Amino acid sequence: MIQYGFQRLALLNSAGYRRAELPLDAAVSMIAPNNTGKTSLINALQFLLIVDKRRMDFGAHDVDTSRRFYFPHNSAYILLEVALPVTGTVVLGCVGRGVSHDFEYFAYKGQLDLEDYCLPDGSQVQQPQLKAHMASLNKLVFSYSSGDFAAALYGNRKKFMDQEPDFTVFKLEHASHADAFQRVLTRTLRLDKLRSAEVKDYLLAIFRRDLPDSSIDFKAEWDKAFSEVNADRAQYQAALRHRPVIDAMERQSARRLELRGRLLHSGPIIDNRLLQWQAHFEVQSIELRAAQVQIEQQQSDIQLEDRILFDKKGEAERHRQKLSETLQRQNLLNAEFALIASRTVLEQALAAQRSALETQTTLVQNASSRGVDAIRRDIESAGRERDQLQRELSTLTDNLYLHLKRVLRPEQLDALNRVMSGQTMTMSAEDFISEPEILRQWLDTAAAEADALALPGLRLSVAGLTAQHTQRSADEISQRIREIEQQLSGLQNQMLAATDLDSARNEKDRLDRLVRDIESQLFRYDEFRELVRTQDERTRLIKELGEQVSSLQAQLDHSVLSARRLVDRGRELQAQLDTLENDHRNITRLRESRCDDAPVFGSLADLPHQLWLGSMNISLDELPEALSEYQRDCEELLRLDRDLESKLVVLRAGGLTKFQFMAGSEAEIQRITEFAAQLSQEFEALERKARSAVVNVTACLRELRDGLVTFKSRMRDFNRLISRRQLSDLSVFKIEPVDEREMVEAVEQLISTAEHAQSGETFELFNHASVLDDDTLNRAKSLLIHEGEVRGCLRVEHFFRLTFVIGKNGRREESFSDMDSAASNGTVLMAKLVTGLALLHLMQNKRYNIRAICYLDEASALDQRNQLSLIETAQDFGFALIFASPTPLITARYCVPITCRNGYNYISRRSWQILEPLHQPESAGQPMSGERISEAPAQVGA
Amino acid sequence: MNTLTPLYLHKLPQLGEIFSFLNSGKHMNRLADHRLWAELERERDTYEMLFGALGYALRVDERGFAWFYFEEASSFVSKTTRQLALLFMLIFEFQADTGLNLGRFTDWMIDEKLLAALLEKNRILLEAEGLADRELLEQLLKTAGNYGLVTTDRHQWRLLPAVFRYLDRFEELAQARAPEGATLADTEELA
Repeated sequence: MIQYGFQRLALLNSAGYRRAELPLDAAVSMIAPNNTGKTSLINALQFLLIVDKRRMDFGAHDVDTSRRFYFPHNSAYILLEVALPVTGTVVLGCVGRGVSHDFEYFAYKGQLDLEDYCLPDGSQVQQPQLKAHMASLNKLVFSYSSGDFAAALYGNRKKFMDQEPDFTVFKLEHASHADAFQRVLTRTLRLDKLRSAEVKDYLLAIFRRDLPDSSIDFKAEWDKAFSEVNADRAQYQAALRHRPVIDAMERQSARRLELRGRLLHSGPIIDNRLLQWQAHFEVQSIELRAAQVQIEQQQSDIQLEDRILFDKKGEAERHRQKLSETLQRQNLLNAEFALIASRTVLEQALAAQRSALETQTTLVQNASSRGVDAIRRDIESAGRERDQLQRELSTLTDNLYLHLKRVLRPEQLDALNRVMSGQTMTMSAEDFISEPEILRQWLDTAAAEADALALPGLRLSVAGLTAQHTQRSADEISQRIREIEQQLSGLQNQMLAATDLDSARNEKDRLDRLVRDIESQLFRYDEFRELVRTQDERTRLIKELGEQVSSLQAQLDHSVLSARRLVDRGRELQAQLDTLENDHRNITRLRESRCDDAPVFGSLADLPHQLWLGSMNISLDELPEALSEYQRDCEELLRLDRDLESKLVVLRAGGLTKFQFMAGSEAEIQRITEFAAQLSQEFEALERKARSAVVNVTACLRELRDGLVTFKSRMRDFNRLISRRQLSDLSVFKIEPVDEREMVEAVEQLISTAEHAQSGETFELFNHASVLDDDTLNRAKSLLIHEGEVRGCLRVEHFFRLTFVIGKNGRREESFSDMDSAASNGTVLMAKLVTGLALLHLMQNKRYNIRAICYLDEASALDQRNQLSLIETAQDFGFALIFASPTPLITARYCVPITCRNGYNYISRRSWQILEPLHQPESAGQPMSGERISEAPAQVGA
Repeated sequence: MNTLTPLYLHKLPQLGEIFSFLNSGKHMNRLADHRLWAELERERDTYEMLFGALGYALRVDERGFAWFYFEEASSFVSKTTRQLALLFMLIFEFQADTGLNLGRFTDWMIDEKLLAALLEKNRILLEAEGLADRELLEQLLKTAGNYGLVTTDRHQWRLLPAVFRYLDRFEELAQARAPEGATLADTEELA
């Protein structure tokens, strides 16, 4: 059976080697004094196998320094020949690129022949010509970046180049092992440096896949599990505490929805009506005012009429009164004049009395104007005149004058009449003797001149004298005598009166009064007569007037009624007008103080609301009420908004914050009320959640614990693997995981409590609060939390530490925390090697068996038996051992000395010494399991 | 081969704190000083090397405690050390008598009741060390707390894993003396 795997390593112009060729297909004993570059040779493999510079380890040297060392120029090569199962033999190489000390990967199919790298002139092929040069040798060289090369090497190259063969050297059980594998592989090149702490890391990396998601942030898990429960519980309790508030909010919220719907419905109607209102108001108020004016007009008309009627009535009444008074007057007069038959009676009485009065008056007047003497003289004068007259009367037929008249001419008579007295003229004929002729002659001379009368010795002008006597008739004289007699009686009375003037005057006054009485009586009588005459007419008038008055009164009464009606109507109109104006004021006020201009009303339709299904037909008359109702609704809505918001704040402050940042307060309120409505279900849910929280928390702990158990079982497998062969004189060599007791117990503690919790019995024991009371649990919890915190998370590795258990033959097993202190140098070396190889073996795909190498420095510390045992163990794990020591180890197949010439190291293929065993090697301790791999045909060294 | 190992200080953020902690003579316990312990455990090699280079012997016990080991400490036993040894020994003896596993001493609760019982049972012994008073014992426990041997919580104490140092020593002595039939009580001066 062909053994696939590393065949040869070659260095050209690298790491102090001019040319080196090292077999890798079996155990090699590299022989050289110290500090001749054995390790450098082996480390060169890191460039080819580890590839990733970050993982290379050159001990004290860093990678950059090493790069200069390994790739001083562009004809420095590190070459590895590997036999692969599918592709056949391939060469993996790394060539320097010159001054930058950078390098490039390449690979090709074929045997490694160092002559291929020589030009005909004996010089080395340089990196730029490599491809062309190899092509001329029919070898197709593929260049790689380091990433691609690593991918090609570890079999996870995604895309292949044209004709590119499969260069996969390491096929791992799991791609995720690549990292650990490379790290261990780095170590395998130097397995003696394997440290116990690293063993744990590698083991963990290898078993990582078998361990459940093993990184656990316990505090986070705990908090997560319980924070939700606690948060929910806090919400639940807050809701329970604030149940009344929430109920109120529910009601208010419902009311708000209703209000919004209504406002949404009524808003436009109200707006529309408001637009119409102004016109309506103006029309109405004009109409009402006109009606008012009309009413006023009517009122004033009625007043006017009333006044007229009243006047009329007054007039009629006054008239009637007057007539009545007249009637009374008539009755009075009737009584007065009942006995007077006619007016004449009165008139006569009046005339009598009046003449008496006149007489008396004259009497008094005369009496008072003249003295008694004067009256007496008058009486005497009158007496004489009466005597004269009586003589005249008696001589009337024969008197001087008549005598003269018959004897004398007129003008003589006239002159004599003027000069002679009347008495003379009237002298009767007995008293005179006449001689008519002498008289006439004298007269002719004495009365020759007109108007003069000459008397012997006297001349008289009679022009200015009146005639002294006029001849009167007897009637005239008797008339005259009666007059004088009357005059005399008057004078007699005057005489009486003058002697008693006061009584005369009293008499006059009495008479005067009497006259006046009678006069007035007469006047009244006339009046009476008139009244009597007009009585019928008056009676009729009175009746008529009575009727008229009552008719007027009726009219007045009626007018009062209609006036009252008008007043009522006026009041009514005023009231209507007042109402209208009041409404208008209200509307204006309400319109000006509309509170639906708050932002919320703008987006009312977008807010949730309850559709208003009620009909709403607002007439303009109802507008004020509707508007104020609308206002009230608006205010109520705003109040509700505020109220709900403040209640929400109360709820939030009270701890009910579950729905705070969901979708606004509206949704929050709704969610809260729904939440509050289902508190009992919430409680159950809470309980379920709490239980599942317990289970969740412990689920991760269970994972940890299971991981630990799994890890332990893997470790048992691993221990079986490494104890197949006895190491040195050790009867027992194993790596044991030892629990970190407190940690594991803490986990167990929590898990067992959780199991109780799961059964539902002691749930309260595990809730957050009571855990704090339970000291043991609390310690367990806080230990895990603290550990988790300081380590970032809890992993399986935190729950155990590795101890190396070593049992020497016949002695008690001993545990060591560090491999180095466990045993002698050689034993430790072996233990490390076995451990490391086992680690790599675990990672490699067992069906893809590629033999690699491992390197052991200072190998002479091992005795031959152990060397053999190691070689065989390595072979079991698929590795060829390379020992390095100053002296040859005969247990190896190859002995390869390093020679030094001109400051350069050389390993020539020709100096290889191949050792063939004389007999089949026996296993040092227990028989080895598995087949013994047959040796390849011996190569005979030159 | 080069044995020089670089010291990456950025990996040791708690270096100052760890050093002053340990240098004060205190024991660092995994159970009590989580933060410092985590770093000490993670960077154990570096710390051992660094402190070793500075002349301090850092001892890390896998059971979860660490301390600076001073050679001279063994040759000079202070009064406090002696008293602590006595106290721990009496506690172990008492708990062993009640059938408790000595290895689980970190679970024990050292409370007033226990102290009273200790006083009652070992009055003469304690009087000899001048500890025959509960307050003195409490004072001593407080001192133990300063050494990182116990933690305290409201007049209750718990032994920390560092007490393994005493327990190991007691067991060692007990084993050595066992054939001769000696009791643990005889070993207090050796602690």
